[in-house]
Amino acid sequence: MGKKLMSNIEGYRSLWPRRILVIFSSLVLFFLTAPLVILIIQSFTNESYLSFPPPTYGTRWYTEVIFSEDWQNSTFLSLIIAVIVTPLSLILGTLVAFGLERGPKKGKQTIQAIMISPMVLPHIVLGLGLFKIALQLNISDSLWAFVPAHLTITIPFVIVTVGASLQTFNISLEEAARSLGASKFWAVWYITLPIISPGLIAGAIFSFIISFDEFIITFFLATFQRTLPLEMFSTLMYQVKPSIAAVSALTLAITAILTVVLMFRGQVVGGGKIIK
Amino acid sequence: MEKIDSNKISSWWLLVPTSFLYIITFFIPLVTLLVMSFSRFESSVTTVGFYLDNYEKIFNDGITLKIFFQNVELSLIITLFCLLLGYPVAMLMRRVGPKARLWILLLVVSPLLTSIIVRNVAWVLILGRSGMINDLLISWGLISKPLPLMYNTFGVVLAVVHVYLSFMVLPLFAALSSINNSLEEAAASLGAKPLSIFLNVTLPLSLPGIMAGCTLVFILSMGVYLTPVIMGGNFVVTLPMLIEDAVRNRYNWPEASAMALLLLIAIGIMIVISSSIQKWVKS
Repeated sequence: MGKKLMSNIEGYRSLWPRRILVIFSSLVLFFLTAPLVILIIQSFTNESYLSFPPPTYGTRWYTEVIFSEDWQNSTFLSLIIAVIVTPLSLILGTLVAFGLERGPKKGKQTIQAIMISPMVLPHIVLGLGLFKIALQLNISDSLWAFVPAHLTITIPFVIVTVGASLQTFNISLEEAARSLGASKFWAVWYITLPIISPGLIAGAIFSFIISFDEFIITFFLATFQRTLPLEMFSTLMYQVKPSIAAVSALTLAITAILTVVLMFRGQVVGGGKIIK
Repeated sequence: MEKIDSNKISSWWLLVPTSFLYIITFFIPLVTLLVMSFSRFESSVTTVGFYLDNYEKIFNDGITLKIFFQNVELSLIITLFCLLLGYPVAMLMRRVGPKARLWILLLVVSPLLTSIIVRNVAWVLILGRSGMINDLLISWGLISKPLPLMYNTFGVVLAVVHVYLSFMVLPLFAALSSINNSLEEAAASLGAKPLSIFLNVTLPLSLPGIMAGCTLVFILSMGVYLTPVIMGGNFVVTLPMLIEDAVRNRYNWPEASAMALLLLIAIGIMIVISSSIQKWVKS
């Protein structure tokens, strides 16, 4: 009986369903990653057109992109926005996460839902509304419009990542510091923040990447200014040149580095540790 | 009733800066759109009031509503494909060891953290008229002229699925990993075949994850603008593209606002449907 039971379980764990699962999943993962790999390979072409595999390899298009004034300006604008947005988003989002975690349990769910609701609002709708307001305040096409707009879509991510870290934080550590005479602020500064730093890092990286890549809202708000995604879009609509592959590969490199940092903090699935 | 501690309530002061920002960048814009959608637009002049012109136009011009339903259909197709491709990956992630899981997760999330434009550019380079696939097929002599792989629904669905698949896998994985292994093993020990275990145990228990993933992907797909523009040319038109055209080319804010509200209503309906299904499943 016991033997039959075990063999049934073994049967369930048998290799065939698992093999099919592995093969199918590998194909899906290939589908996810192959385009990006192909893009990177194509970006190293030395020809004036894109083809795969490139007949000759070189860094010709990287040189062209790096020394092009249009690409320099748009990259600079995107970086400026992201560099302003990231710390602000981190501070504002962390305050909200603390407020929700330490506040009354009653009503917490509703307030949290409101605070992260910009996440589910289509960006096209948000962009449309923000454009109207920016026009009325006469601030469209400036950082005064771009930064608050980006903050609105990045803060929810900070609330979620920092909130998840705070939930697993043992508050008695902070209380111990307080009982030893630390003020509330310094107890949080020296004890709580370092412990929840994975959540803070995740929130900051999300904010940076989302702001750096944001397209549609900025597309509405900008008239003459061009962020990197806007420049890429208009170039792409005009002609598919190798320069677009080189720029894409460069932005991919920036975000990939940040992603790797993020992954190894193990903070992607709602603060749950991936490696148990 | 729970007593509200005044010390705890003071924590809500921390929400004030963000709330202030949201009022300006979120609530006022939304209310403005709502008001605008009931305004009248005549010979380039917008009159604020309570007119139903824009909504009447949406329902009667024969094209907006058609595009809207195409948009819903497109989003449903995308959601279905994400589910079919994402579920096995989430299942595999649950079965493998922690190290392999981390690597799969890295691959799954990698497109999520690369810009949508970059991902679309990659697909243009692969599927375009002189893209990789057509190039290779022609040089091998298999076809004589390029296949139409993009500037159609196929290209758009493929590229959007590529963009949003991660949003499906993450909730599915979260739901699957919360299922206790012993439930499936118990079924196996009673002689159930793998397929029947999957259909009767694993699948029903992962339903919350399926609903969460599908809702998220559907909502995101409804609002997608960039990918249909790049991958669909002018052959695949979505509601967001109509909104953009109304505002930027025709300055018709009232009509654009009404279409934006239509989009929000569709998303609201989807959220209501999915949450009622989840409640029904629980009971």
